[in-house]
Amino acid sequence: MKVKVVRRILEANEKIAEENRKLFKEKGIFTINLMSGPGAGKTSLLVRTIEALKDKVSIGVIEGDITGTDDAERINALDIPVVQINTEGACHLDADMIREALGEIPLNKISLLFIENVGNLVCPAEFNVGEDMKAMVLSISEGDDKPLKYPLMFQESGALIINKTDLLPYTDVDVGKIKRNALSLNSGLKIFEVSCRTGAGLQAWTDYLTTLLAT
Amino acid sequence: MHEVFIAQSILDIAITECRKAEYTRINSISLRIGKVSGVKVQSLLFAFDIIKTDTIAQGATLICEEVPIVGYCSECHNNFEVASELILACPECGGTRFSITGERELDIAEIDVD
Repeated sequence: MKVKVVRRILEANEKIAEENRKLFKEKGIFTINLMSGPGAGKTSLLVRTIEALKDKVSIGVIEGDITGTDDAERINALDIPVVQINTEGACHLDADMIREALGEIPLNKISLLFIENVGNLVCPAEFNVGEDMKAMVLSISEGDDKPLKYPLMFQESGALIINKTDLLPYTDVDVGKIKRNALSLNSGLKIFEVSCRTGAGLQAWTDYLTTLLAT
Repeated sequence: MHEVFIAQSILDIAITECRKAEYTRINSISLRIGKVSGVKVQSLLFAFDIIKTDTIAQGATLICEEVPIVGYCSECHNNFEVASELILACPECGGTRFSITGERELDIAEIDVD
C-alpha cells in the first residue's frame, strides 16, 4: 500500500542549521559562510578583513580544513577567537560540525562570525550550516570560466570577492566575463575586486560588511 | 553531489517511518528531485542499490520524479520552466534579468509498503 511520507531528504542537516541560525540570532551575531576553491585566498581575506575592522567589530572565526591548523594559527595571531575544525576527509562543513564547534567560541562577545569552509568549489554550496549568508572568493589565477563550470556556488552566494587582481597583467583572464556570467547565474550577487596582497579594493568589501552589520 | 549520503538519508527516513507504523517491507520510495538540486539520479539509484542490502528496503526501487527549474523573468514578465540544469537567459525572451523561483526539491513523496 502507498503511504504519503512528505519529508525533505536533507532535513537532518537543515534542522541543525536552523537551530544554529536561531542561536546566532539570539546572540545578535551575523554569520558568513566563506567558500572558495583551494588557495583562492579565503584566509588572506579574513586576515585583511579582521585587520581593518577589529577595532570596530568583535569578530570570531571557525576554520574548516581536512587536516592541519595553519589557517587557525594565522587568525589566532590577530588575537581573535578562533576554533579549527578538522573534517578528517569530509569535503565540506555541515551544520553538525558547526554546532559542535560553537562551544569554543565566546558567542556573547562577538557580533560577526566567519565560517571559513573547506577549500572546494563544489560541495560547500550544498550545505547550510546556519549562516546569514554565503560568500565566495574566486582568484584570478583560477581562470574566467569558473562561474559556468561551478554554477551552484555562484548561485548560492550573496557576495563574490574576486581576489589576486594584482596577477591580471600576467594572465589572459577577462574579469568582465567572470562578472557577466556570475551575474547571469545570480543577478543579486555583490561583486568585489581585490588584492589581499596589495590591499587594493578591500575598502569596498569592508564598507559592505559594515553596512550589513548596521542593518 | 553526495549521492551516497543522500541515499543513506532516504533509507534512514523510510525505515524510521516504517518502524513507527510497524510496516515490515518497503516496496518502493517515490522521490521528487529538483533539477536545481544537482543530484544525479543514476548515481543515486546506484548508491541506493548498494546500501539497501539486508534492510527492509532490500527489494525496494526508487521512483524519481524530476522537477524542472522554475523561474520568473523580470524583462518579459513570464514564468518559465526548463529541463536543463543551467540557465543563463530567459528561454522566452533571452533576457538576463530573471530569478529562479522553484526550490531545490529533494523530497520523499510517498513509500509503498507492506
